[in-house]
Amino acid sequence: MSLEEEFVKGVFSPSFTPPPAGTYELPPLKRVSGFVLRDDTGHRVSTERLTAGKVTVVSFIYTACPERLGCPLASLALQSLQTRVREEGLAGRVALLSISFDVGRDTPAALAKYARLYGADRRLWRFATAPSEHALDGVLESYGQDRTPVYDERGRFTGRYRHVLKVFLVDPDGYIRNVYSAGFLVADLVVNDVKTVLMER
Amino acid sequence: MSTRSATRVVSAFFAMVLALGAGGLDPARADETCQSPFLPKVTGQEDYIYVWTLGVKGVADGNDSMVTVDANPTSATYGKIVHRAPVPGQHEAHHAGFTDDRRFLWAGGLDTSMIFVFDVASDPARPKLVKTISTFVKDTGGLVGPHTFYPLPGRMLISALSNAQDGGGRTGLAEYSNDGKFIRTIWMPKDAPYGYDVRVNANLNRMLTSSFTGKKNYMRPFGELTKDAEAMKQFGGSVVVWDFHARKPLQILNVPGAPLELRWALLPNHNYAFTATALTGQLVLIHQQADGTWAAKNIAEIGPNLPVDISIAPDDSKIYVNSFGDGTLRVYDVSNPFEGKLVEQIKLGEMANMVSSSWDGKRLYATNSLLAKWDKPSDYWLKAYAWEDGKLVAKFSTDFNAVGRAHIMNFGSKSMGPRAQRGTPPARVSANVASR
Repeated sequence: MSLEEEFVKGVFSPSFTPPPAGTYELPPLKRVSGFVLRDDTGHRVSTERLTAGKVTVVSFIYTACPERLGCPLASLALQSLQTRVREEGLAGRVALLSISFDVGRDTPAALAKYARLYGADRRLWRFATAPSEHALDGVLESYGQDRTPVYDERGRFTGRYRHVLKVFLVDPDGYIRNVYSAGFLVADLVVNDVKTVLMER
Repeated sequence: MSTRSATRVVSAFFAMVLALGAGGLDPARADETCQSPFLPKVTGQEDYIYVWTLGVKGVADGNDSMVTVDANPTSATYGKIVHRAPVPGQHEAHHAGFTDDRRFLWAGGLDTSMIFVFDVASDPARPKLVKTISTFVKDTGGLVGPHTFYPLPGRMLISALSNAQDGGGRTGLAEYSNDGKFIRTIWMPKDAPYGYDVRVNANLNRMLTSSFTGKKNYMRPFGELTKDAEAMKQFGGSVVVWDFHARKPLQILNVPGAPLELRWALLPNHNYAFTATALTGQLVLIHQQADGTWAAKNIAEIGPNLPVDISIAPDDSKIYVNSFGDGTLRVYDVSNPFEGKLVEQIKLGEMANMVSSSWDGKRLYATNSLLAKWDKPSDYWLKAYAWEDGKLVAKFSTDFNAVGRAHIMNFGSKSMGPRAQRGTPPARVSANVASR
């Protein structure tokens, strides 16, 4: 196994029992605004309505992402989380939301296909993107999600974006309570965080 | 349950990697080995070294500054200072660290507790000061001397050295959002009050902190301090093992003599870290035992030469140790982590402090200067070495005498700029693990 492969294996070798829900604090990082997005049916959807009264887990992805440790991993994690949320009987209190930052190419049809690929249950897990690049910038800024288009040697857009995988835990009042990246995207840990936030109510 | 679920994600991930097939795993060829597992890596040769530089009265404008050294051997300005971004005043410049997206570099002052945030993404050659946090002491309820800037997702974890109440060693950790908003303070446990470095192992959900001394010691002239027997007792002698996610201390390890920098091993199942003790000159292994608890073991006698910064090779085979006392870089073979063997030493020059290995293990950079009042009049520099035929060979030496004294080094890349180029693939998380 090459050194690189060992490293990749290393980053995804979580071997710990997350601390029990309610035994630790998740102080708020910042409040995120509500936005109007376009969902995978082409309809406008308000994130405030979608997440009202719920703990929301938000990922930023684009469906053409070739980075195997980027968007596909985030979506696998949310898929796993969807299962765990159901197992824990939290379905009515949790929303999962994947927001694409490829406004041009992630059409409703592309998002719907992607949602099917990951077995998303629409009642629990929704896919959307912003109605315009300008609107998207506001969403990314609000969450603190980076995204930089990648160009080829002749200055042409390659269709790829440089970005750090981040998944956000947002409480019912719109405050980010935790952020996860690849090295810490463990479903049971996220579930315990969700419960920790819900126990405050 | 937790491990099973985690394993499920991992298994699904690897199944997908296999399904995606072609191309294998993307290589990540170069980066410093001693950063956070949450920090994306840049690929290829590092283009720049950002050097947080201590200002010296009478040298340039006398201000602390973020200095950019060109580190790309194909560049016409290889080994030269290509930019300097001063901040107002002198603050005891020491450590600095990137945010989780590598767009911003936070740098701290151990004397004034000021924090300076530089934008390094808009123009990677020319870091720009975009934010100053002057409320660290007030925000944190009395922490003083922000030292390590350690990126966590969406936030910066900062270890402090001292406190505002008595300038002693009782201290803690602070968290700020990437926007610069204070989140919380975590004080060190009463039985191990000192602080210095902080490092996380995400796979184990463990965090380590080490221990130095308070402001009334580190801002005192070195010769005077060493003659004060009472003051010399006021140094930390412990490494604390924490539940990272809960931010709760689990175990206090006795590691006498001011254990400073902490470096987690990088490969899977290497459940250990290293530190070096400044006052007792020991290279120390911090390792997980069969029952899950942690222990410390001295694995090499470095000597009474004030070892300071350390760096780890990407394959966990070597630890580099710089010693302030004799200006020497020592290389220890730690293939067997329980027994460090000295395999190489190089006289760098007076007051060697920081040392950073590139992620591919081929290049090594060092600077000198420890603390303004501990340094002596001397030449100040950044020196680059590379492994060639099993020997460390000098590549360049950058003269810092006209700008100040060089401290911590962080690597930069043109590919992290706003016009990311194909061929320098996007920063990715794949190799994050290489940089604990």
